[in-house]
Amino acid sequence: MKRYLSIFVVLVLLIGLGSSVLAEKATINMFISMPEYSDAIHELIDAYQEVKPDVTINYETTQNDYPTLLKVKLNSGDLPDIFASTSGKEIELYKEYSRDLSDQPLMETMLPAIKEAMTDANGDGMYGIAIKGNYFGLIYNKDLFEQADITKFPETISELEIAIEKLEAEGITPFSSGFGEWWVFKHVFQHFMAAATDDVPALIQKFEKGEAKIKDYPELYDNFFRFVDLVKEHGDAKPLESSLNTEISSFATGRAAMIIGQGPWVEDSIKEIDPGLKIGFAGYPVSEDPSQSQVITGADQAVRISKESDVLPEVLDFVNWWYTSDYGKAWFADVAGVVPPIAVDVESDYAIINQGSAAVEKKGSAPLGIIYSTDAFHSAFGETMQAYVGGAADKEATCTIIEKLWMEIDGEK
Amino acid sequence: MNRKRLEKVETFLFTMPAAILVSVMIYIPFVMSAVYSLTEWNGISKAVTFIGIENFKTIFLESKQFLNVLIFTGKYTALFMILSNVLALVLAVVLVKKIKTANILRGVFFVPYIMSMTIVGFIWKFIFSQGFARLFEISEWGLLNLSWLGNGDLAFYSVVFVGVWQQLGFYIVLYIAGLQAVPEDVLEAATVDGASKVKRFFRITLPLLGPSITICLFMSLTNGLKVFDIILALTKGGPGGATYSATLDIYREAFQYNNYGIGSAKALIFFVIILILTQLVLGFSRRNEVEL
Repeated sequence: MKRYLSIFVVLVLLIGLGSSVLAEKATINMFISMPEYSDAIHELIDAYQEVKPDVTINYETTQNDYPTLLKVKLNSGDLPDIFASTSGKEIELYKEYSRDLSDQPLMETMLPAIKEAMTDANGDGMYGIAIKGNYFGLIYNKDLFEQADITKFPETISELEIAIEKLEAEGITPFSSGFGEWWVFKHVFQHFMAAATDDVPALIQKFEKGEAKIKDYPELYDNFFRFVDLVKEHGDAKPLESSLNTEISSFATGRAAMIIGQGPWVEDSIKEIDPGLKIGFAGYPVSEDPSQSQVITGADQAVRISKESDVLPEVLDFVNWWYTSDYGKAWFADVAGVVPPIAVDVESDYAIINQGSAAVEKKGSAPLGIIYSTDAFHSAFGETMQAYVGGAADKEATCTIIEKLWMEIDGEK
Repeated sequence: MNRKRLEKVETFLFTMPAAILVSVMIYIPFVMSAVYSLTEWNGISKAVTFIGIENFKTIFLESKQFLNVLIFTGKYTALFMILSNVLALVLAVVLVKKIKTANILRGVFFVPYIMSMTIVGFIWKFIFSQGFARLFEISEWGLLNLSWLGNGDLAFYSVVFVGVWQQLGFYIVLYIAGLQAVPEDVLEAATVDGASKVKRFFRITLPLLGPSITICLFMSLTNGLKVFDIILALTKGGPGGATYSATLDIYREAFQYNNYGIGSAKALIFFVIILILTQLVLGFSRRNEVEL
């Protein structure tokens, strides 16, 4: 059915276009998520147009529901030449449509951490490139911490508890949680995952097979839930209505000293409200060991090349140019303002990126745990945690549900 | 004879475009999803495995989740039907009276209906969070300080409220049309016979509104069962999965969990449920209609 329908569509298109477009320009269709970089990508495309005038790039993006739209395109036989997914676990999902890029020149510039996120489950092949590296950690207001006389940002949970007391003594609300957003939980959880094990993917596989229990990992069972409790008790009045916007506005107006689950992507919005705010960025206190309080860096989004593309050579030329040309290499920091996924020396204007890279240099980076589970799991995980925060389920029941979700959604079927 | 045949050909030809379009848009996808409900497919991979009725077994025997969302949808639909019909009837009775602002008020009640559900959802999301917070600061009414979208039980009522608020205008219009069709002479005759206002309404107006009630009940039933966008915009099924309707759950199963097969199976079961319910309600209200 699918095939006949697509043949029909293609025939109609051919009849319609055939007469006008014969041996003309090559057209690359690009449909990716991350609309926040659309201006930057338009600039990139314009720059490429000067290098290769005979290649046209149709760039399309969406704010909402990218995976669903991609599936619709895919099943109607209209797979874009360049598309996107998350990295890690989802690499496998679209593998049969993706071109293995491990023989391409862009491999030379790509950072090893990014490569790792783009390989498949067996560690073979390389099925995507990243538009950006990213940092995950806790964002805090340096002035408010100074006002509460906290000289060193807490690195352990007991230090965090003391800091909360000091902040509240000054009448400052310590947290804004964003617990209304399911993805806040996954961003926080990965830090505790990193503390619980040295090999995050292996532990997640054990959970998916039902061989591990959350209770056996105190960093998850005690520390993670302790942290969530602390944020709930010392945060927004209505935690489950707190969204990304609540976090940004509370933080930028000084009504909350810390926001959780966020990263460099909120800095612009905060600066728009208060350009003078002194933003601090650090790892989460995840245990009683200060060395485990690390920020996380890596690439959570993958841009992928369709194996079946009619203009495969042109597409490969384009992404190689993106990763290896002088303009392309400078684009990441200068135009898009992101953490470059390639090896270049850059000075960033962003406080979060600068402090993130400084923290990685000093204490190392924890592994990017979120990419080893699908967003399907993460959204269900977030909902379960929301039920916990709302008091609809206790810790015991919440852990049981999470273990079940891991097996049902991400486990072998 | 010849003319008759020509007419037949004409009928056939003129209905063909519509029939083809409806088939392509509705019947063929319906049959396809029935086929997919017997398979295991993630919506992406090229390999579609046929597994018989395994999906239905999973839904009925292994997981209580679908039962829970059906119960939620049932509760939503019941409350939605009662509130929207009662309120719309009351408002319609007021609005056919000769009050000065009647026409403006009709417009005011109808405006939400022409707005997109998603936009209504976002507007109310803002009112429930920021709006209520500010109003609480001014008025200090405890009711405004409740977490209307952040508490599972309250979120249910918020969703119903916004759903009714948005759809009300539509039912008001239907009821107004029905009320205006009630013949004056019958009402006058009742007045002469000494019937009170209340008695006139319940003994004459209401029974004669039968066709309007049938339509409104039917429409509110299907709209209640189909509820999707308002919940997506207001709560996304949250907090903690407390406000998942059947349609939203089907969407989540197929497109977020990548279980296209189970999603199709759920859709099919839900289709049968809607079919039975609508037939029951339609039959019931048709039987209770009276004619002059």
